[in-house]
Amino acid sequence: MSTGPETETVVPRAVDPLEPVPVLVGRPSDRALTESLLTPVLGPVKKGWLLLLALLLGVMGLWLVALTLTVFVGIGVWGNNIPVAWAFDITNFVWWIGIGHAGTLISAILLLFQQKWRTSINRFAEAMTLFAVAMAGMYPIIHLGRPWLFWWLIPYPATTGVWPNFKSALPWDVFAISTYATVSLLFWYLGLIPDLATLRDAAASRLQRRVYGIMSFGWRGSARHWQHWRIGYLLMAGLSTPLVLSVHTIVSFDFAISQLPGWHTTIFPPYFVAGAIFSGFAMVVTLMVPARKVFGFEHVVTLRHLDNMAKVLLATGLMVAYGYAMEWFIAWYSGDDAEWFAFLNRAVGDYSWIFAIQMFCNVVAPQVLWSARFRRSPLALFVVSILVNVGMWAERFVIIAVSLTRDFLPGSWANYTPTWVDWSLLFGSIATFGVLFMLFLRFIPAIPISEVKELRHELSHGDHERARAAQAQAERS
Amino acid sequence: MKALVLGEFGEQAALLDAARSLRARGGARLDLHSPYPLEGADEVLGLKPSTVPLVVLVAGVIGAISGYLLQWYTVGYDWPLNVGNRPPHSPAAFIPVTFELGVLFAALAIFFGLLAAWFGFPRVHHPVFEVEAFRSATIDGLWLSAEVEGKDAEGIAAELRRLGARQVSIVPEAT
Repeated sequence: MSTGPETETVVPRAVDPLEPVPVLVGRPSDRALTESLLTPVLGPVKKGWLLLLALLLGVMGLWLVALTLTVFVGIGVWGNNIPVAWAFDITNFVWWIGIGHAGTLISAILLLFQQKWRTSINRFAEAMTLFAVAMAGMYPIIHLGRPWLFWWLIPYPATTGVWPNFKSALPWDVFAISTYATVSLLFWYLGLIPDLATLRDAAASRLQRRVYGIMSFGWRGSARHWQHWRIGYLLMAGLSTPLVLSVHTIVSFDFAISQLPGWHTTIFPPYFVAGAIFSGFAMVVTLMVPARKVFGFEHVVTLRHLDNMAKVLLATGLMVAYGYAMEWFIAWYSGDDAEWFAFLNRAVGDYSWIFAIQMFCNVVAPQVLWSARFRRSPLALFVVSILVNVGMWAERFVIIAVSLTRDFLPGSWANYTPTWVDWSLLFGSIATFGVLFMLFLRFIPAIPISEVKELRHELSHGDHERARAAQAQAERS
Repeated sequence: MKALVLGEFGEQAALLDAARSLRARGGARLDLHSPYPLEGADEVLGLKPSTVPLVVLVAGVIGAISGYLLQWYTVGYDWPLNVGNRPPHSPAAFIPVTFELGVLFAALAIFFGLLAAWFGFPRVHHPVFEVEAFRSATIDGLWLSAEVEGKDAEGIAAELRRLGARQVSIVPEAT
């Protein structure tokens, strides 16, 4: 073959020109892919992992102390008072539930939209959802005061003959959260079964083969099973999509259908959902940036994934900012004195510094993500995601507690100060979440192996098509 | 006495061709085993469309109806509660729980239906697991399994080799 410019063979481009950073680096063989993705589970225990786990377990101890105290003494150990009957507890609840939204969004909505980049991060995000919902669910229960009677919320034929009041938003919450937790768990496990079978077959130790064998129920990759599995998984995604939107909508009803200035707002459902996705993506980024580095997932969770997650962060951040602006506008435009006062109180009242944190973290900080350089810098993205996590917590606190400190009657105004138990329950739940997540990373394949293999085959197919097209082009010219 | 013949293939196209050819030959219950869903496996094996969607629809509708009836019976009929002077039977207020229970029932039907009814799980012992090399079926191996009468096993095994199988094993089935 001559080397002249006219006859030079066009080198087939393996990369799509519209997608400069690939969703999968290289085209590793199925076996190599399996090995690299199972290393965190089958490889030796990392020292850093043990150290971090020990640290988190320590903080979790504090959480257990605070929980025990709350149950044995009562919620008087918290800083809650009248009028601020909902404070850290409900703030933490809404914050965690919001974080829990990203998992289902990534798994379900992005699956329906056929976004290929969701493949590597969905398992990770779903696990995050499960643990976040578990943390969230605890707060309303301990806030009952007598948490051992929580089952009064469930409609059962009691001897008193009384039923839960289904016209109140709180029983809706019970159904929404418990349905969400159950469906998230089933969706996650359904996707996990083929990978647990892979783990069973790749494990060397007898114990691991036994345990993962039981957990995978005897999956043998049969085409008959794949056929039903695929449609079942897709339907589960279809069901989860309206579910995820309904859950935070119902959580926002807890506030929106009450009379309190600052709560009684029709914009709450969409604004809460956008905030939930915003905080959830932030948490995925917070966890993913260090995990991909430590466990060597950089070939399957590429800068492209980070870039896309950053774009979702930016978009939902703008929706949240619009929500803030609209809340303020309506408070002013309604001409309602109490409403306008509640908003002024947020900005210049006793808690104005928390409002400032909220605005800086949720509105100002994400704007750096307009720049591709920041979107593709793991460190910058990590910092922004931490700020968003903090900002979203501040937003929940401002909406819930700060609104309660100043209601209609000046005679009942009172400020709120958290006690050490409140702080322990907040940081303890973060540590407990961390412990669960660390165990997940060690014992369960964090990247969906079968889905990545399927994606690799699809991409290889695309490579061949492009190479063939390039060849044909070269021959024509 | 039945036997299970297993053959491993290197290429997806070769696997599907082998399955097509064995299906034309008849006399065997074929299945494919792969680490990820194979495009075109359904047609090659002649599988009927999945019945999962229908069952899920029915379960979801049952869930939604029971959710609504639960609320109507408890607060609208059995112990009518006057809350803010709204009627005891308030359809608008019953929407959230109705929706949630519909989704819950449908999701439970998918998960437990798939496992128990469609997959026949849990079944951790299966003749295919008798072959040590079959462990690659969830890693990178593409396998074809044929359930045949014991006397036909050798013939099918030879046929699989001819069709390009990298390795072939025969498992005398205990069941």
